[in-house]
Amino acid sequence: MSEKPRDVHSLVDEAVHEKIMAAAEEIKAWGEAAERDARDLVNQPTINNWLEAMGLESERFHQGEAPPSMAQVWTMYGQGGKHPDRDPLHAMMNVLTDAGFDGVLGTNSEQSYDRYLRVGEQVRVTTALDSVVGPKSTGMGAGYFVTSRSTWYVGDERVATMLFRVLKFIPKVTA
Amino acid sequence: MKAGDEIPVWELPITPTLVVSTALATRDFQDVHHDRDRAQAAGSKDIFMNILTSTALCERYVTDWAGTDVQIKGISIRLGAPAYPYDTLSFSGEVTDVTDGIATISVTGAVSLGAHVTGTVRVAA
Repeated sequence: MSEKPRDVHSLVDEAVHEKIMAAAEEIKAWGEAAERDARDLVNQPTINNWLEAMGLESERFHQGEAPPSMAQVWTMYGQGGKHPDRDPLHAMMNVLTDAGFDGVLGTNSEQSYDRYLRVGEQVRVTTALDSVVGPKSTGMGAGYFVTSRSTWYVGDERVATMLFRVLKFIPKVTA
Repeated sequence: MKAGDEIPVWELPITPTLVVSTALATRDFQDVHHDRDRAQAAGSKDIFMNILTSTALCERYVTDWAGTDVQIKGISIRLGAPAYPYDTLSFSGEVTDVTDGIATISVTGAVSLGAHVTGTVRVAA
């Protein structure tokens, strides 16, 4: 991350780059922030809707356990949900949007499951800014890769984690 | 489960209903996953599959083969070409490694534009 691409000047004004990286350091220092509770307890109707939509059939998920990749579902913001002011991922994306990098593209999701969640559990999540890397020349345009780390808990027990990476870019102008 | 085991190809037709119902079932209400006008205004050809669903379909692909009794430890994916309605999502996969009781399965979900998702699913073997 301390490595500066040689072509930084050709992609982004040096002052803009310095400002972006300074903001990244500040937001990283927030650590695990934006803690939120899931709106609902882990529940069977939501599991059933997911199983039907995915076409996944299993007795296991009618006997008290939730599919592991639903971990993120429980803490989604929902319709019209608002991000907290100090949400590290969105704060960093806003910095880049304000600097002209208004395109956004999800590039990587790396989820790990400590265990499967059980019906009736209250899940909460925290988000931290993990890294900001760039500027890079990509097929979409010049941009920065922003990686956040989400951690899900039941009580004090960690149950799942996710590294999530987006590319924030200046869209190429097509003739 | 052993290195070299191949998972049979699974072809999933992508319909608007699939894209919309899976987006909502994962509680993802971003308009590009259910509103074609908004998706096109944002520069997209059509609505497209959301990332939580790409992850979930990797889970389904592996457990349709291995059974849901296996314990999934993680799913890591890289996103590529968008998955649009009226295309087909074609999954292929292979066990690449089994070490210390954990099998690593490489998975690719391809659409006509190329790889939509490439990644690994780790399961307790």
